[in-house]
Amino acid sequence: MTNDETPMVDPTILTREYKAPRQSVFDAWTQPEHITKWQYPFPGFTCEFISADIRPGGSSLHKMVSPNGFEMWLLTKYEEITPPERLVFRQYNANAAGDILPNLQMPNWPKEMRTTILLEEVDGKTKLQLIWQPINPTQEEAEVFEASRPEHTKGWGGGLEQLDTYLGTQ
Amino acid sequence: MARARTTLDPFNAIAEPKRRALIEVLMGKELTVTQATERLGWSQPMVSKHLSVLKQVGLVSERKEGRFCVYKLNADQLKPIHEWVFQFTRYWSNSLDHLEDYLNEVQSKEINNDE
Repeated sequence: MTNDETPMVDPTILTREYKAPRQSVFDAWTQPEHITKWQYPFPGFTCEFISADIRPGGSSLHKMVSPNGFEMWLLTKYEEITPPERLVFRQYNANAAGDILPNLQMPNWPKEMRTTILLEEVDGKTKLQLIWQPINPTQEEAEVFEASRPEHTKGWGGGLEQLDTYLGTQ
Repeated sequence: MARARTTLDPFNAIAEPKRRALIEVLMGKELTVTQATERLGWSQPMVSKHLSVLKQVGLVSERKEGRFCVYKLNADQLKPIHEWVFQFTRYWSNSLDHLEDYLNEVQSKEINNDE
């Protein structure tokens, strides 16, 4: 529920430019046979759709499996699909049945995040913007999102690798 | 701007950029307030204030060494934050890079088919 108490949070925006027609990029985001080919966090992961009702108001459930067998299900609820320029969805950690899981590790992480994909044709290339924004966050969720912002794009100071290395030695 | 907080957890504590800078200087070495002050170039009260917040949420612990207090980073407390944000953000950031590879692959196939 939106009211005057809802804190404003700036979105985090990731941008990329692809040497491909806008329609191809849009298809890569909206057709399961394409999505599974690139939407995984690290090489060696596999991605498989359990269900895919990709239309406004529809949802999909897909599974990602890490090289050591760790399985993660993601539920995506599609809000807007405007070929070939705009896609809006919410994504949740889920279980195999498609039930949304609470985030026990980070109780103050925003419960609902909206992801907007905008595609623009620029000089024969396709410019992509991925926009993340917490939906009606509480004050605490807004602060947590804000706190994590340096990690969204480039990491802290010396970078994530430094922190990784450091944490690995503990 | 002062406001009441209902919870103060490690995630809230690192929301402040100065505290992240303080965490960075504590990575890998224990420091006294004076040493941290020198490294950061801030006033000593400012260093003490931020150290005390980090201590409250367990990100930093202190021990006595002679007349001085020495501060140490508790990396275990940072892990959940790091892992969670890492998981969430790297998923998209890396995926967007994979998309580039995939589109290049698709494009080159189409070009080959046209020939």
